[in-house]
Amino acid sequence: MGNETADVVVIGGGIIGMATSYYLSKLGLDVVVVEKGEIAGGTSSKCDGNILAIDKEPGFDSQMSLKSQELVTELVKELDEEFEYRAPGSILVCENEEEMVAANAWVEHQKQAGLPFRMLDRNDIKSEWKYMADDIYGGLECATDSTVNPVLFTYALAVTAKRLGVRLKTHTTVTKIRLDANGAVEGVETSSGLIYTKQVVNAAGVWSKHIGQMVGIEVPIEPRKGHILVSSRTKSIGTRKVMEFSYLMSKFGKERKVDEETEKYGVALVFEPTASQNFLIGSSREFVGFQTQINVDVIRCIARRAIRFFPVMKDIPILRSYCGLRPWTPDHLPIVSRVEEVPGFYIAAGHEGDGISLAAITGKVMSELITDQKTTITTDPLRYDRFQKTEV
Amino acid sequence: MSNSIIVCRCEEVTVENLEDAYHTGAITSRQIKMKTRATMGACQGRVCRNLVDLWMGNKNPLASKGVEQLSYRPPVRPITFGELAGEE
Repeated sequence: MGNETADVVVIGGGIIGMATSYYLSKLGLDVVVVEKGEIAGGTSSKCDGNILAIDKEPGFDSQMSLKSQELVTELVKELDEEFEYRAPGSILVCENEEEMVAANAWVEHQKQAGLPFRMLDRNDIKSEWKYMADDIYGGLECATDSTVNPVLFTYALAVTAKRLGVRLKTHTTVTKIRLDANGAVEGVETSSGLIYTKQVVNAAGVWSKHIGQMVGIEVPIEPRKGHILVSSRTKSIGTRKVMEFSYLMSKFGKERKVDEETEKYGVALVFEPTASQNFLIGSSREFVGFQTQINVDVIRCIARRAIRFFPVMKDIPILRSYCGLRPWTPDHLPIVSRVEEVPGFYIAAGHEGDGISLAAITGKVMSELITDQKTTITTDPLRYDRFQKTEV
Repeated sequence: MSNSIIVCRCEEVTVENLEDAYHTGAITSRQIKMKTRATMGACQGRVCRNLVDLWMGNKNPLASKGVEQLSYRPPVRPITFGELAGEE
């Protein structure tokens, strides 16, 4: 149990921790990752794999996603391993006239923000989606949306970071964060020894509140549970991502026209074809603490919703279901920030369902913050102290 | 052991595929699964799960001591979306 030193200690070996470590190591910093389980052992392997702008609020959010999409195309070339990257775009579909009106406004806003969005009419949908229910009104498309295998993406970042000198300590728990007389970070105590460092990144996702408490701060991140179903390998239903428009309502906590159970479990259709010729079906959103048992009522509700949009799925087998915890924040934006009151302590967490989407831009920006460079995007909306301000 | 032996029939994963994954850094059963899709097919791992664990144990006796056991996920046997949804 010897003591070691590092320029930066990253807490958490999920997609955010690995992206941060990768970009830091590219800048030549000496990085240690402390992970209580395995690389991609938590949320990053209990999710789907999208780099989406289509479901981001027009403006800062969607711009951040677009930037992340650009970075991922660079990562495809930079990283040592491939991660099933493809960029077929994605679509949202509307169930009624009201949603079409809202979708139109959404598209206009996104276009003004410079993103490649367009409306799709009933014929567009029909000609691309042979198996879609007949009563779908239309939808919208974001042409640059891309998809990856989230676990392989995390592994690829980890393998490359390791080659660049990052030390990965898996099955290692952080027990204490040492502060000096001025309250600045001095070191990290772990189950396998002390690491002297002046900079710590809290990339612990749904567990980042616990890590924050070690330096006396309250990180407003709560676990939000989501279920996903996996189909068996089957004929192609479609070649790219589809979500229902009211997924946005579910995501942003707005009112929807759905039955009670669908509303209660936050169920909204997400269809994602994978590189393995099967597809994933989501989604649900629930606050039930750290409980990760599959709830049969929820997956039943998800299956019903899937059949409503794709009646053909009725006869397609489900191989398995899984669920994970998404790190939720009150305003649906992650925290990518210094913590002013604890010099040397940073937070990169709270991405809810956008962690895979935003990992690249988060890692890049975090490496820039730590090395005092100008950041690729403005980070004001991502600051930790935005929550303190609103409470006053 | 011949490298062409198929370990996971559903996903057609051979011993050679496992070897390749191991040599590029997949050193637990779970990582092997994620990289090769062994145990992720239609039999839901009934046929190959033990083989993968056994192979991994031979390769790296410490692997089984880790927390990364292969998981069991519902449903136990494949059912259709329609059956799950409670439709006819």
